[in-house]
Amino acid sequence: MTAAATKRLHDDQCDGEDNVLFDRELEDLPQELRWREWMGRIEAVLFASASPVGRDDLARVVGQGASVETLIDDIQADLRAKPYEIVPVAGGWMFRTRSHYATAIRTAADVGEQSHNFSEEEMGVLCAVAYHQPIDRAGLADIFGKEINRDLLSRLRYKGLIGNGPKSPRPGAPHTFVTTTEFLATFDLRSLRDLPDLQINEQLETGVL
Amino acid sequence: MTYQLTVIPIDRSSLPKLPAWVTSTRAETPEYMAFLSGASFAILDTLLCQSNDAVPMTLLANTLALRAAVATSKLEGRMATEADIRDAYYLTPPGDDGIRHRGPDGEVLDYWRNTVHLRLGHADWMRAIADTIHERFEDAVETWLKTAVDRSRSEGPLAAATRIMRDVLEADDRAERVACLLSDVVLARFFGWEHPLPLTALHLSKSNLRDLKEGTGEPAVHRAIMQSAQKTYRLATTLAARAEALRAITPKLRTRGSEDAVALFLREDAVAPSSMLAPTIRGTTTSMTARAARRFCDRLVELGVARELTGRSTFRLYGIAS
Repeated sequence: MTAAATKRLHDDQCDGEDNVLFDRELEDLPQELRWREWMGRIEAVLFASASPVGRDDLARVVGQGASVETLIDDIQADLRAKPYEIVPVAGGWMFRTRSHYATAIRTAADVGEQSHNFSEEEMGVLCAVAYHQPIDRAGLADIFGKEINRDLLSRLRYKGLIGNGPKSPRPGAPHTFVTTTEFLATFDLRSLRDLPDLQINEQLETGVL
Repeated sequence: MTYQLTVIPIDRSSLPKLPAWVTSTRAETPEYMAFLSGASFAILDTLLCQSNDAVPMTLLANTLALRAAVATSKLEGRMATEADIRDAYYLTPPGDDGIRHRGPDGEVLDYWRNTVHLRLGHADWMRAIADTIHERFEDAVETWLKTAVDRSRSEGPLAAATRIMRDVLEADDRAERVACLLSDVVLARFFGWEHPLPLTALHLSKSNLRDLKEGTGEPAVHRAIMQSAQKTYRLATTLAARAEALRAITPKLRTRGSEDAVALFLREDAVAPSSMLAPTIRGTTTSMTARAARRFCDRLVELGVARELTGRSTFRLYGIAS
């Protein structure tokens, strides 16, 4: 027996420790337990992650062909009575406390502004989109006096805060950007009218009327 | 022996005009107002309940949805024009996730187009309406609707409509569109219409709603709703004539699939040839090339039955309604 083969045999015996031999299929378990274990794994992964986890990553810890959605539905069913839930965010899932408990959390602990790691420029572009939507890249360039980096826009789109809106009716049909419902949720706005500036407009307008 | 059903003989191209005394704007007493709005709704209801297809109902509903969207945008302080709203709605392709991100201007039209398809005929209609409305009102919607329906039987539809608007605005003074929708639902239920028609929003102003919330604005809102009923009557007769004109020239259209395309024009107030006629005509499996679609639309304009709505040379939209 070669050294390599010995090593492989050794690894086979100690399960779980090593990623390479991580047992996804769990074939030695009865079906019921196997499903439970998969649910547990997904829940654990989501619990351990501060950011949304995509389907591909979750699929890696469960059996081939097991539906991540169905597993998550089953976990959701278990969580029904809990003050937290799994929510689909930006193409993945994450744990979130139910909004009903927001005041309780704020009262008990000063949970400061969640850091979304926005750069100043990202924040600026996001604001421009929020106030001037639908707006295309040319429109953003007019506001900022320079071309806006496509990567920056992609990052905002990846975070689920903006989406591709209507096409601009001009040559090349560039798509515009609009904010998403996720944007509203992130900044705790009920609608775009809660954006500060629009309120000022409203006051001005009622003043004139 | 068979009998032919009696249908009110109605010359499609010349539906009766509103009598001048109905449109009198000098109504200053509540009694006179009530009299005129009763007359306006009676004549509108008679027209809408015609069993022949003189009035293209879907086209009417969609046209009203666009107008309500413009009115709602004004009430919400966004001031989007008809053109802004149409562009946002019709030029948004589905995103990667299959969802269309239409933005605020497209969404408001989507809202009204969905509401005109709500069904009021079935047993569970209140629940269905409550479900379509933003979750923030939860069970209140059903309670409001129940009260309003009872009230409409004893106090009349307009009093019930304004009452439910007040209920909504007291709960959330930024829910103008919900207030208008529920008022439309109460009216439609009272008249026995199958779907709500967006009438309430059309002539409202912000100050109307503010006064209504403070309990002084009822007469003004009643007047606005009456004006909408009259406008809708005129719109319905105009659309009937336009539809008749389109049907009359249909034999002249030689394009393959032109019948389905004409049917689409009889339903939709705006048609984007590149996405709604090509590659297949919406709602059918009939295929049409983009070029054929463009030529078909231009032909309709040439024949004087449709109009190009945007004034652009590209990304055009065509319709028979405006």
